[in-house]
Amino acid sequence: MLRTISINALRFILLILLQVLLIDNLQLSTMCNPYIYVLFLLTLPVDEPRWLDVILGFLIGLFIDMFSNTLGLHCFAGTLVGYLRYYVIKLFVDEEMRTTGTPGYETFGAIEYIKYVVMLVTIHHATLFALEAFTLTNGWWLIGRVFISSLVSSALILVASLFDKAQ
Amino acid sequence: MHKILQFFYKFRVMFLFILLEGISLVLLVRNNKYQQTVYLSSANDFTARMYEWSSSITDFFKLKSTNAQLAAENAQLLNQINDLENRLVMAEERANGIENPRLPSENQLDYIPAKVINNSTNHLKNYITINKGALDGIEPDMGVVSSSGAVGIIKNVSEHFAVIVPLLNPTLKLNCKLKTSNYSGPLVWDGTDARYSDMKDIARHVQVQVGDTIITSGLSSTFPEGIAVGTVKICELDDSDMFHKIKVELATNFSTLTYVQVIRNANKKEQQQLEQRSTQDSNKK
Repeated sequence: MLRTISINALRFILLILLQVLLIDNLQLSTMCNPYIYVLFLLTLPVDEPRWLDVILGFLIGLFIDMFSNTLGLHCFAGTLVGYLRYYVIKLFVDEEMRTTGTPGYETFGAIEYIKYVVMLVTIHHATLFALEAFTLTNGWWLIGRVFISSLVSSALILVASLFDKAQ
Repeated sequence: MHKILQFFYKFRVMFLFILLEGISLVLLVRNNKYQQTVYLSSANDFTARMYEWSSSITDFFKLKSTNAQLAAENAQLLNQINDLENRLVMAEERANGIENPRLPSENQLDYIPAKVINNSTNHLKNYITINKGALDGIEPDMGVVSSSGAVGIIKNVSEHFAVIVPLLNPTLKLNCKLKTSNYSGPLVWDGTDARYSDMKDIARHVQVQVGDTIITSGLSSTFPEGIAVGTVKICELDDSDMFHKIKVELATNFSTLTYVQVIRNANKKEQQQLEQRSTQDSNKK
């Protein structure tokens, strides 16, 4: 129990630092803004109470917002991912696989885990960019941005999960 | 009563979710107003010190190009001194004939140098954090320039840091004008490419040529007149258009921005108060 909490606290801090100090500084293009801090929400224990998922989603979003001056934006997307996580797991993963442990290639099965990551990352990015663009009406550009950024984020997260032996 | 409590308990996760999303939306909408709390932005001490620390590492690798930039800036400052000395001499000579010679009111400016410690160009709403704040005399609404041209306007100030809304943020509509014809219009970024911005409201009868220089109009107290903003890159005019579609290549390269200067206008408060009083007077009548 204590071990799970400390591992996740460490992930929380490391992923925020990685996001704001490294990834946000890459400045690849306006079409490609990967957000890998979602990995923290994706790898929370499966049997964790759902209200904690939602609160942690809000909290990590708040921290990212503080660093990038976008108060409320990442809070919204993070909370949504925290809330929908349970349903996405239910949708893709068999019942006996989703009782305990941390989501990963071994616990969920490779295909299921990839589906789970891509789905939630795409939901997160689509919400984020749509909310950010609020007043702009450039639909195709927005779709392209969601598509490319989600693809890059998912790839980064999936590669990071390969090396994530913490569980 | 018991049933109501049971109902709330059953849907507690959903209520929590709705509550937090509500808070997020309120924060988001409030944040769009011009002023926001310093605590939850990158001007707060914790986040800003973190950025300062990380930029102290990356600076090391940028030393060479930074030196070049500083040299260019020094040269420009020397030119300015030269220019000012010339003006002084001329003013003295003129003063022999005129009784009370004095600098024009809008020219009483000084520049506060500052260093960029956090900067983005790839978001829709970009912000820049600098390492000077209220203790150095920086206040919200001051204009910011680099050695090559206009950068943006100060939004938030804490004791040691300040956040700039740069030209690469659609919430900033900087009033600019064409250097050749003096027609003015707002410059608004469309969020796609950090090198270009759009100039609006230039009526179709105005002659615009590719390569024309765009400068600040001086119609607000934030920027003095004549600071370079960019050059016209593309100019289109369809038969049905009321206004030109002008794409401006920005003078400032935002992706390599390291040093900036904040403009302090000594007479700004006076001007704003006077303008405010005038509008209030006319509202009364």
